[in-house]
Amino acid sequence: MEGFIATGLIGISLGSQYTLLALGFTLIFGILGVVNFAHGGFYVMGGYVAYYCTSMLGLSYPVALLIAVGSTAMLGWLFETLILERVIEDHQATLMVTMGFYLVMATAILMIFGAESPEFSFPIAGVWRAGGVYFPYANMVVLGVCLAAIVLVYWLVYRTNLGRAMRAMAEDRAVASALGMRTKVLFPFAFALATGLAGLTGALVTPILALAPHVGDPVLAFSFLTVILGGLGSVTGATVAAFIVGLVEAYAAVYLGGSKGALTLFVLVLIILVIRPQGLLGKEVRRA
Amino acid sequence: MASGFGRLLGGTLLASLVFGGTAFACELKIGSPAVLSGPAAQWGLALRGALEFVAKETMAEERLVIDGTPCTVTPVVIDSKYTAEGAASAMNALAAEGIKVVVGAVGSPEVTGMKPVANRNRMVAMVNSFAKDAIGPQWPNVFHIGPGPSGWAAPIIDKGLELYDFDKVAIVAPNDQGGTDIASVNAQIFTEKGVTAVEEYYQRGTTNFAPIVTRLLAADPGAVDLASSPAGDAGIIVKQLRQAGFTGPIFRLGGPGTEEIGRVAGGLNVLQDFLWFEPVAMDDNLRALEQKHVELMGGPRPENSDFFRWVYAARMMIKAVQAAQTVDDSEKIAEAMRALPVDDEHIGAGHWIGQSFFGINQELSYPFAIGVIQGGEQKDFIRAEAVSEG
Repeated sequence: MEGFIATGLIGISLGSQYTLLALGFTLIFGILGVVNFAHGGFYVMGGYVAYYCTSMLGLSYPVALLIAVGSTAMLGWLFETLILERVIEDHQATLMVTMGFYLVMATAILMIFGAESPEFSFPIAGVWRAGGVYFPYANMVVLGVCLAAIVLVYWLVYRTNLGRAMRAMAEDRAVASALGMRTKVLFPFAFALATGLAGLTGALVTPILALAPHVGDPVLAFSFLTVILGGLGSVTGATVAAFIVGLVEAYAAVYLGGSKGALTLFVLVLIILVIRPQGLLGKEVRRA
Repeated sequence: MASGFGRLLGGTLLASLVFGGTAFACELKIGSPAVLSGPAAQWGLALRGALEFVAKETMAEERLVIDGTPCTVTPVVIDSKYTAEGAASAMNALAAEGIKVVVGAVGSPEVTGMKPVANRNRMVAMVNSFAKDAIGPQWPNVFHIGPGPSGWAAPIIDKGLELYDFDKVAIVAPNDQGGTDIASVNAQIFTEKGVTAVEEYYQRGTTNFAPIVTRLLAADPGAVDLASSPAGDAGIIVKQLRQAGFTGPIFRLGGPGTEEIGRVAGGLNVLQDFLWFEPVAMDDNLRALEQKHVELMGGPRPENSDFFRWVYAARMMIKAVQAAQTVDDSEKIAEAMRALPVDDEHIGAGHWIGQSFFGINQELSYPFAIGVIQGGEQKDFIRAEAVSEG
């Protein structure tokens, strides 16, 4: 029984990390209609900015976290305004542009910091234990930040005029623009919010796991999987799917093994998508 | 008409200069499919660093002279991404450049992918890989830079059993050839030593190992072996093992990279009790080699100590090319290699082995070392003699 509970905690911990990543990914698709293949790059950048601030500049970790969020949000804003905005109506072009931007980011990080992992540890190192059940304090912090991020994103998207405007743009860009909503302000804001979330996740999670230029690849794959499962563009769907993916991954890996566990997860996602091609909570047609 | 003749004459002159120039030049291009990205990048960086160093050393000291002409040596290194398809693609690109001499790759999946390309394009290669079929009679021009765990795991396990009390080990590795071949050999050797071994595999690309760690610990092992898990992965596994409360010794019978594992895990205190295969025992000769690297390359050697093995391999390849007196006849180079004594001015002498394990006597064997961290403190390397057959 202890093993079952411990596995559940691991699943929740994984789910919270996936939620933070998936929220940004799904926001970008939901509002801009762009599948952001550079999402993993912003995650890695967040990690390296936090690492640079703490290890090279000697700043405290919370300050480094804020700088990581700010710098990834700023880069996201610039990227959307200067590059993505020019091709936003062409879905294939946005795929190529975001993928290309990811490669540029990953290569730049590789050139600056090298291919090897630096020493970058979470400032809180202890582990809570109760018999055979354990939960690292660092994971508790991530879970707390994840819950706060979910609340913040929901509040912003569903309870503010800014959120209403963004949802209106997502519903019908032409009509929303005709009503006076400003695409050139709202789109970069949404993109910056999402990339800031990715940067926050990178700054929080890489010291718990590992920091290296390539760690954005699996992050992109899992974000994509989670968001497809939840329904592209659905914030609620992404949150629910992230915790499903985390729990299935944990239980399948513990009880079936690493190889079969990964297989189980992908087969389950495949079955769900055969039954509900639009994902768990996605809409069948996206109009904007 | 006159200007057409002039152009023809000019072209002929230019062509004769170009082709005449290459006829007398001597350039050895050493190709290398090396992992330069991903969690195993540290191994590839060691390979690339060794090739660049040996190339510069060869030219600076005129170690390669063919028909009285000192040769230039140019390493051509392509990222093989630690995959079979990446290595095959890199080898095809090297073959397209006319390269016949190859040093690398590092990992089993890469070597599996590159060997057919090497055969097809008549290349001679010096590879790593701890796979059970790293070399063999079907690849007569492929040589092996040193034994895998079949050669050196036993003395490291003996040392572990001397220092710690355990009768069960959990072995964890990626679920591809780069993991399963090594883990299964390690399991066999642990079993021969009277230790029960359980094997657990994970999907390459996994970033959070907490579920795998939970499964490992459910087997109640007294020790864990990380086998050939890349350094980045191994560091996370160690960190999460200690978080889960595991206090036993951890082996890494799969390759060097302890520095990076320590950095990812959070320091030597987290590694706590750790034993690994170290390619060389550091001594004055090797410190002289490190100093030579600083002088020639203007900086310290690559961090991963696989650098020394690749220096050994690249120097052997240069000696074989020198003995064969050709930079592009792979058959002659391979033949010359087989006749060379296994020896290196800094690392020491050894012998050719491989007949009993691979069916072909084309594996270099030279002294290696056992690395030990005990109670969070790194001990001096323990020197082990070159493995021999018979």
